[in-house]
Amino acid sequence: MQWDRRAFIKLAVGGVLGIHASPLVWKLMDDSTIWTQNWSWVPVPEDGAVAFANTVSPQTGNAVQTRLVQGRVDGTRAIRVEGNPAHPLGKGGVVPEDASALQLLYNDDIRVKTPLMRDKATGKVVPLSWPEALDLLAGNLADLVKKGNAQGIMALGHDPDSTTGQLLLSLMASLGSPNVAFTPDARETLALAGLVMMGQTEFGFDLANSDYVVSFGTPLLEGFGNPVATRKAFASWRGYPKNSGFFAQIESRASVTASQADMWLACRPGTEGALAMAMCSIMIQEGLYDQNAVENSFGFNDEGDFPGFKSYVLKNYPREQVAAMAGVPLSKLLKLTLGFAKAKSAVAVFGPGNSGGPGRMYDYMAVMALNALKGNIGKPGGVIIQKDIPLKPVGNPGIAGNVQPLVSPIQGLDQNNPQALAQAALEGKPYGINTLLLVGGNFVYNGPSAGTMHKLARQTPFVVAITPFLDESAMVADLVLPSTHWLEGWGDSVTPYGSPVASYGIHRPLIKAVPEAKDAGDILLAVAARLGGKPAAAMPYKSMQEALAARTEAMGDFEELAEQSYWIQEKPAYGAPKFNTPSGKFEFFSLGLFKLLSGRAKQPAALAQLVASMGVAGGLEAAFLPHWEAPAALADLGTGMPLVMQAVPSLRTTWGDDATTPYMVKVLPDTMLADKDKLVVEMNPSTAHELHIYEGDMVRVDSTEGSVTAKVHLFEGAAPDMVFVPVGLGHDAFGFQVAGKGMNFNGAAKVTSDPMSGLPIWELTAVSVEKV
Amino acid sequence: MSSHQQGKKQRSRADWILLFVGLVVGSAFGFWLTPTILYAEKAQPLQFNHKLHLEQVSDSCKSCHTLREDGSFSGIPSIQSCMECHEADSPMGDGANEAAFLKYLKANQPIPWLVYSRQPDCVFFSHAAHTANAGFECARCHGDHGQTTKLRPYEYNRITGYSRDIWGKGPIGLSGPPHRMKMDDCAKCHSENGVNRACFVCHK
Repeated sequence: MQWDRRAFIKLAVGGVLGIHASPLVWKLMDDSTIWTQNWSWVPVPEDGAVAFANTVSPQTGNAVQTRLVQGRVDGTRAIRVEGNPAHPLGKGGVVPEDASALQLLYNDDIRVKTPLMRDKATGKVVPLSWPEALDLLAGNLADLVKKGNAQGIMALGHDPDSTTGQLLLSLMASLGSPNVAFTPDARETLALAGLVMMGQTEFGFDLANSDYVVSFGTPLLEGFGNPVATRKAFASWRGYPKNSGFFAQIESRASVTASQADMWLACRPGTEGALAMAMCSIMIQEGLYDQNAVENSFGFNDEGDFPGFKSYVLKNYPREQVAAMAGVPLSKLLKLTLGFAKAKSAVAVFGPGNSGGPGRMYDYMAVMALNALKGNIGKPGGVIIQKDIPLKPVGNPGIAGNVQPLVSPIQGLDQNNPQALAQAALEGKPYGINTLLLVGGNFVYNGPSAGTMHKLARQTPFVVAITPFLDESAMVADLVLPSTHWLEGWGDSVTPYGSPVASYGIHRPLIKAVPEAKDAGDILLAVAARLGGKPAAAMPYKSMQEALAARTEAMGDFEELAEQSYWIQEKPAYGAPKFNTPSGKFEFFSLGLFKLLSGRAKQPAALAQLVASMGVAGGLEAAFLPHWEAPAALADLGTGMPLVMQAVPSLRTTWGDDATTPYMVKVLPDTMLADKDKLVVEMNPSTAHELHIYEGDMVRVDSTEGSVTAKVHLFEGAAPDMVFVPVGLGHDAFGFQVAGKGMNFNGAAKVTSDPMSGLPIWELTAVSVEKV
Repeated sequence: MSSHQQGKKQRSRADWILLFVGLVVGSAFGFWLTPTILYAEKAQPLQFNHKLHLEQVSDSCKSCHTLREDGSFSGIPSIQSCMECHEADSPMGDGANEAAFLKYLKANQPIPWLVYSRQPDCVFFSHAAHTANAGFECARCHGDHGQTTKLRPYEYNRITGYSRDIWGKGPIGLSGPPHRMKMDDCAKCHSENGVNRACFVCHK
């Protein structure tokens, strides 16, 4: 053997191969990859003690627990939002909106971190200090009051029942402006229907204990009431823990709810109320109503000059005629009604509609009448009156002086109509406004008519937005004030829509807020304190926490309540309710409504005229009875607008008044949002065929209010002559994950006023569809 | 056969032996060097006799390593837990170890134990699911740790900083629990027991 170059190379090659046959290289490579994941600049959460804290999401009314880790990047950090198993409604469940709430909380790009002032000329924003910002706002308000132009201040808030809402009402009243409105809500229509027929405003549906549920267009699985409680009730009808219920959905579209129903009655748009009346008519004709309940009611039989419900229904709602008008098979309608009448615990559910709006009051009354005929009021599985939430008033919402409001209070029973306020202010009739306060709700996106709100914000000299996010309202505001996210600050919310038990949720600071954010309530209190005088006297609290403590005094120890995060009525209040109506009974013919309108009309002869001027098409004969009126928006049909547009809600989007999280946009199906950012609208294949539109075509849906551009999806489950548009998409704000995805339904929705409630409604819009 | 051809044959055979020698030496070097260069040692802050303590308590490991109400696990018992038996002013033994322990007890400070089985931050592991629900014995994953009389040195990976117990003692990492606790071992056990092995089960 010679030791030469060739021998050395062979030994070296052997050595190298040997090393590679050992784990040395492979292990070092593996560890190197792990090492790169642990570089000091790669964000890795620090360890710390984990704790759970209770809170209630004011957006969904759902009780949740937040997992908190101490000692993370900057103090305590929330790492997860889970359901609270101890809460009787949610029982540990969450919805996508709550589960993904942290995505917005920790999104630095969309949080407002400091007060911002926008230069009107250049559009640039400059940060301000809080004292400067509050001086600016309080100075503006004081100036208007001093000039005797308090009515030039208009405020739009989110939830009038929350403490923030109550403080906003107090502030506006003490300033002397009646021009305040809140996000229109179906709870208001429900309360009005209850008030005029039962003298009760707070009630709900005992879905969990019902064995036969008929829903009049209610999107039960798309975010109804407390969404988790509703889904759990639904699950109980479907085999877990018991298989007990029959469920029927009356709706124009094979929605998620309709597709899960035992019976889907596909009706023409807006005819749900007529079908409720037809069901009443069938039950009366067949003698299948609760005799006892009817005997203890008022207005079933004719009363004086007015027809009673019985004769009115039999005369005006013959089953064949209604079935033909609504486009449903009579046999199916009959089967549904007989099943409803004979079931042990049946309930008819109504509102909110697919657009999340307040809905039409007479429809609500029609379904209430159906429930009354079934005799289910106060019975398990029926319509249940909630107990009062033991809350004390905060602030003083009594208005000073006699100021003419922008919208006449005689135009309906409820004065909460932001749309009408905005219209009046835009037209300057009776006057224009100088300052617009936007306190949550994101009106510039959410409307009801987004275009009108945008125009109003553009036209108003001074617009202030109090919001946690750089949302659409913040984008048009002159002054943006950062408020806390619900995991960072104090706030509260009351019973979600339709719940059979009353509940109250309180949320408290669980983590450190973004540096400059304050609770919306605290901001209003600070403004009042700076103004002094009446505003400061009307809101005598040092902080939002103090206001909440004062409001919830009757619920016991405040600290314990805040830690528990909710108050809830233990179980539904079964038993005959107390009807606070003029007759002391359930009123098919609303004596209370008759007296109220007679009082407004002053002379009996003028009553018919008043009813007509309010827009009640049924006239005096029908005005005080549940009945059906054709949706006003459909009057546009035939004027070049041959189709009807309706919203498609989803549990994966919000109705727009709450922020949409990136996760929710990410999990949307291709039938709502396709090709990353294209809105998808649904049409029936036959309708599309007539218009020469094919699957995947891009179309423009035009209404008198605006338009949306979208991709067409042909869907047999969509009623003919309609176009179904997803709601809650098309944001201009909230960062790149949410903005620019689809188009805003509220940009094309036509808003009308409900003749009796006076609330804005935008459930249906006449549109034309054109291929682009 | 010419002498030239014969020399070439002899030479070729000898060279191949050299290659083999290199292979063996290189491989041995790699096997020996891997743990030596990769792992460093740290001493525990003080010694602990698991065996002795186990004889004193009534509920085996669970006496000190408890499941909390929220389902999380007390991997390292708090100093308050020690105080249930020990008192700061009356040592239960003599020697430097007891004195060092009492210092922590007096200061009411947690003992900075180095945890052999600590998983990386990206791993979510629920003791409740494995012990309370699946009924696993502690030893299944932790071996005879509970029967030891002293704590072995804590060895950690110089590159990643993770405990050597995660990869295992052997340089190849072929063993399974209790000698090693890598992701493959979790996945294998989940598969065998019909438990979901999707990413999000462990990576939260």
